[in-house]
Amino acid sequence: MEERNKNWEPKIIAFLCKYCASAGADLAGVSRLKYPANILPITVPCSGSVDMQFIVRAFEMGADGVLIGGCHTPSDCHFLRGNFKALKRVSVMKELLRQIGIEPQRIRLEWISATEGKKFAEVAREFTEEIRKLGPLGDKHE
Amino acid sequence: MSRKLKIAVVPGEVCGGCDMALVDLHKNLIDVIGLADIVFWPIAMDFKEEDLDELESIDIALFQGSIRTEKHKEIIERVASKAKIKVAFGACACFGGVQSLADLYKLEEVLNEAYLKSPSTINEERILPGESKANPYKITAPKLVEINYKVDDFIDVDVYVPGCPPPKEIISEAVNKLIKYFEGRISLEKGTVIAGTRTLCDECPREKPEKIVIDRFKRIHEVRLDPSKCFLAQGAICLGPATRGGCGSPCIKANMPCRGCMGPAPNIYDVGAKLVSALPSLVEIENEPKLSDDELSKRVTIMDPAGLFYRFTLGLSRLVRMVRRE
Ligand code: SF4
Ligand code: SF4
Ligand code: SF4
Ligand code: FES
Repeated sequence: MEERNKNWEPKIIAFLCKYCASAGADLAGVSRLKYPANILPITVPCSGSVDMQFIVRAFEMGADGVLIGGCHTPSDCHFLRGNFKALKRVSVMKELLRQIGIEPQRIRLEWISATEGKKFAEVAREFTEEIRKLGPLGDKHE
Repeated sequence: MSRKLKIAVVPGEVCGGCDMALVDLHKNLIDVIGLADIVFWPIAMDFKEEDLDELESIDIALFQGSIRTEKHKEIIERVASKAKIKVAFGACACFGGVQSLADLYKLEEVLNEAYLKSPSTINEERILPGESKANPYKITAPKLVEINYKVDDFIDVDVYVPGCPPPKEIISEAVNKLIKYFEGRISLEKGTVIAGTRTLCDECPREKPEKIVIDRFKRIHEVRLDPSKCFLAQGAICLGPATRGGCGSPCIKANMPCRGCMGPAPNIYDVGAKLVSALPSLVEIENEPKLSDDELSKRVTIMDPAGLFYRFTLGLSRLVRMVRRE
């Protein structure tokens, strides 16, 4: 176990809505803002289209954290209430993970607009550090 | 059929309900006995573990219950090696059953609670399963395996018969299929599930509105449930949207929401996460856009989501295995 963990780097899957968070991530890129390579972005139509089963799948495939990025509440979502749906699901999903014995902080929901390249880079850095502190998923069982 | 079929009924971690379900077949059970010899069924007849030594081959083995101890594992593997058709019978055998919820805790905590701390326990010598310490009779309760396993974690299952316990119609269908198979009239696809192929909601007779909107989830003692309307539309949690149909909806007809004993509907990857996707977003509060994100999260709480959504199926969760196994 020790051996394997030495070179461990957090792996984070980010589901970013096309209209806001994903555009924000692109802006971070073109503005040459530095953010960790630990984040693998996947563009989705809306934060409300992220099925919570995707999170389970991501964890099972080796992710240590999942970031969901959507448009700001109350009124920026292009599908009206998608971001509210994401918020409601994520809050119950965190409780479900906690009961199973997985730290709820491994899921993070953030509202990032198309102009917030800086916020995206900050969230990416902060979240990577938080996951680094938690360590690899599934290694906590002593 | 020229010869009688040999049937074994093999218990793992069971409650006895699945045996009752077989006995409840009444006349049909007698018909089955006309076609088959029961070669092992320790709960209903006088069979002992040693009787397995004499058995050379078994046509149908019905495995009931989950695998919670090393003894269950040993017996189930032993019977499986002699059996032509292996059937996982009941929610415990198929999905781990209700006792898989123990895996929300570490094994150490489970043992502590059950054998040392619970108010009804007297265990001064602090003997745990697998230990025989000061025990003068040299009786050792079998050691627990690290989590509560479903049967197909250790053996290849040919046919799944879900339900807690499986309903009569499902058992009869399974019996008919198996008889036809041994008569050479049908083939059996490995992993066949004897149950519906749609969700319970697709079969449910209750009235459903076009779009369900509720202001919060209510526990069933808080609502006077209208027997003609969808439970979810009344704010009561019902697992119908993610549960496999085919049970005949006995709970729904008794004005009780579904708790999911038939297991996940086809094509569901993780039933708990699926229900988290489906249910919390039904809550819509009037002045929702005026609430802060934190306030809104608080209004959508569901008490004990893991216990509710995986009531019979936590044994299917791969996440549990990631955190609970060495
Ligand atoms: S499936 Fe239900 S009835 Fe059958 S052994 Fe398990 S708990 Fe008992
Ligand atoms: S949620 Fe329950 S009550 Fe509503 S349609 Fe589905 S099975 Fe019927
Ligand atoms: S309604 Fe639900 S809990 Fe009741 S028998 Fe059917 S699947 Fe099982
Ligand atoms: S479109 Fe961005 S959250 Fe819905």
